Amino acid sequence: MDFYSGELPKSPGHKEMDRAGKDSPMQNQEAWQKFASIVGIERVKTSKEDLLTYAYDAYVEEFLPDAVLFPKSPEEVSQIMRVASAHKIAVTPRGAGSGLGGCGLAKKGGVILCFTMMNRILEINTANRYAVVEPGVVISEFQKEVEKLNLFYPPDPGSATVATMGGAVLMNAGGMRGVKYGVTRDYLMGLEIVLPSGEVMKTGGLTTKDVTGYDLTRLICGSEGTLALVTKITVRLLPRPKSRRTLQAIYNRIDDAGNTVAKIVEAGIIPATLELMDKNIIKALEDFAHLGLPLNAEGILLIDVDGDLETVEKQAALVADFCRDLGAREVRVSQSEKENEQLWVARRSAFGAVARMRPTCVIEDATVPVSYLTPAIKKVIEISERNRVQIAVLAHAGDGNLHPLILCDQRDKDEMGRVEKAMEEIVDYAMSVGGTLSGEHGIGIAKARYLRKQLSGTALEMMRAIKKTFDPQGILNPGSFLEYAA
Amino acid sequence: LIAKELKEEVHNCIKCGLCLTSCPVYKQLYFEGASPRGKVQLIKNLLEGKLEPSENFHRLLFTCLLCETCTANCPSGLGVDRLMKAMRAELLEKFGLPWQKKMLFNLLVSDRLLPFFLFWGRILETPLLSLLPKGGKIGTIPYSKLPRLNRKALRDQYPEIIPVPDPKGRVLYFTGCATNYLFENVGRAVIHVLQRLGVEVIIPRGQVCCALPIFLAGARKMALRNIRKNLELFHRDDVDAVIVDCATCGAALKKEYTHILEERGENAEASKALGRKVLDISQYLTRFDLGKLLRPIAGRVTYHDPCHLLRSQGVKGEPRDLLRRVPGVQFVEMAEADVCCGGGGTFQWEHPEVASGISAKKVQSIKETGASIVASGCPGCRLQIAGNLTEDSIETIHPVELVARALP
Repeated sequence: MDFYSGELPKSPGHKEMDRAGKDSPMQNQEAWQKFASIVGIERVKTSKEDLLTYAYDAYVEEFLPDAVLFPKSPEEVSQIMRVASAHKIAVTPRGAGSGLGGCGLAKKGGVILCFTMMNRILEINTANRYAVVEPGVVISEFQKEVEKLNLFYPPDPGSATVATMGGAVLMNAGGMRGVKYGVTRDYLMGLEIVLPSGEVMKTGGLTTKDVTGYDLTRLICGSEGTLALVTKITVRLLPRPKSRRTLQAIYNRIDDAGNTVAKIVEAGIIPATLELMDKNIIKALEDFAHLGLPLNAEGILLIDVDGDLETVEKQAALVADFCRDLGAREVRVSQSEKENEQLWVARRSAFGAVARMRPTCVIEDATVPVSYLTPAIKKVIEISERNRVQIAVLAHAGDGNLHPLILCDQRDKDEMGRVEKAMEEIVDYAMSVGGTLSGEHGIGIAKARYLRKQLSGTALEMMRAIKKTFDPQGILNPGSFLEYAA
Repeated sequence: LIAKELKEEVHNCIKCGLCLTSCPVYKQLYFEGASPRGKVQLIKNLLEGKLEPSENFHRLLFTCLLCETCTANCPSGLGVDRLMKAMRAELLEKFGLPWQKKMLFNLLVSDRLLPFFLFWGRILETPLLSLLPKGGKIGTIPYSKLPRLNRKALRDQYPEIIPVPDPKGRVLYFTGCATNYLFENVGRAVIHVLQRLGVEVIIPRGQVCCALPIFLAGARKMALRNIRKNLELFHRDDVDAVIVDCATCGAALKKEYTHILEERGENAEASKALGRKVLDISQYLTRFDLGKLLRPIAGRVTYHDPCHLLRSQGVKGEPRDLLRRVPGVQFVEMAEADVCCGGGGTFQWEHPEVASGISAKKVQSIKETGASIVASGCPGCRLQIAGNLTEDSIETIHPVELVARALP
């Protein structure tokens, strides 16, 4: 059975959907025919069901596209962009649709360019420790492949099991290992990109060191799909750490947990991950998974150290001492990979345990300098109580990246108003201590309205000028943060 | 109508997308409509009146194995499979059943047609099969690998009560259609092992198809007669357990009957009581000390988790333990043992390309273990795996068959 949408629709398309702006491919039969001839009819989707399923990502708002195209090669992407350019058709790139800010949605209609079918790992080079992948490769599947060769690709956003490498590049995805290993940007060596005009271009190369001209690779990284489309990604790989130990420390007072984080940082130990869960997460975990965590605890730290066995054991012992010295009521240190996983169960179940409490879960990611971690968490709790909004706090504590999980029901207008107010207050606090609006999720449309809190008018103007250089017609991901921010 | 609590369920989807790569079907097709999230969102649009129950929607609804992997992995705990099943039932009136399914299901719900079919099937099987084009397939399964009909239905091979002296236990045996008509070896193994353990086996006469394939296709009303008949026969207090050797029948008796009756607003107490009594044969056998009875047999064995056993019933360790307890057997865990084999009942002939892509991965995992036997407690999985295995040297069996072999 095949799934193409049937015959080419005669323009205009889905009237009942109140869509189809003047640049819509639906009203432009010629462009439409060309798209279909580039990728073939089975990789063009226009049925109502298909459009509805490409109207959302993991954010709340939805926008219907006019068509979804699934390219499989850089040539196809290039040809699509030539047609889109000629007809001024909006194109928005998308991976798995696990984004949290609406970045991959067709905010002004037009075409969604979905890269999930362009998903080959092209090369894993062990001699020079790099790999070349297509944008649709799923992050965790790529990680599994390189680990088979005793190599390591560290960036691991929470959505790594579904998110694509292309999405990770365009969003500069972070994750739990950020504290030691950095984020996607830190592993990029080069890209093959397709400009809105259809021109294919290479940035970077195969060397770790490269100071030839502006660093366009890292400009594309985190550009939220506003500058160019990524068709090949070259990433640097590390040797796989030989061993790993996990520590779990339970605290009666959140301050003690925060002080432990500070102490670890101060002592010059860089753990591979350093996660914090607050009392609301603990409660949700106990309600849902019954892990035997104490309900009167205010915080739990989960700490991974990795490297060669000797160092790891030394560091684990030292960190355990810090935890105890600073008031942890209980410290557990794993002795094996299996025990690591047992200790990780709580953290891995946390999102699920919280998410099922209410219909909607908005995931905040305001980030503060790491020394402000404890005050920031307390502030979030205060904001939550004052605004009568349910918030549970997870944090990538090692890099000050908060994840307040805001629980609500999107259908309740009054409640959503309070949620918005709470979010703004969290953002304001982060700003006031030198933090950032978004540590790893991106701005998209979710946080565009706060953009001016962090970026000056000049900075925004510069960004818009860059955008114009890449995309003079403004056809790539229109409606992005650049346009939303007043 | 979809039950109220299921309607509310669509609002609990936070669209995180974590179900995407848990879905074997999405991993073949790579477009959102094929994914669990996509389907949930379409159902939401439908319930909100923003989408008509179109042909395309209907097709997507059936582009699903109902393997329940999404349900097991959903952070918000959405019962995606229940939603899908209810929606399928909802669309039945509009779209009806394809004629092949109608024929098959009529056969399965009828207590007269099936023996009739079996009688003629046995006589005509060889000449009919020889008429089929060489190299032809049903879905992904070559004709040559289709199992032959039992020469006599299993239930006709045994008395209703198989007595043992000084019984150590007493069970009802729900044979299921597959064992009764196709896989008599499995049924014989179950009865043999239970007899040797001193358990009195009762095979209630008049038992009918569990009807799961029927109601999963949406035909709930058609299935009701079977559900009621089986409840009447098996809801008994005078036995230790109701034994099943088929993951699918087990899933039906343990929980699906209850879901259907509850969603219809009917009293489900009898069905719940039965559900508590039903045990997969691998679960029941944990009550016995097999160790001293079993003789060693050599061989490398691996195990595939049937969706209806692992996710529908939560049975994971027992079948593996059973295999490990056979002396001489070297048990090897295959990679991704818990991933669906691609069969999905009628899915594999409705979507042969998707199914064969999924099965290819399963076959690869099996081969990598170097095992000569792959065991699985589901006739659908065994059909699918055997049908897609190109190596005839690898045998596909039910775990209890291995135990029976070791138990002279």
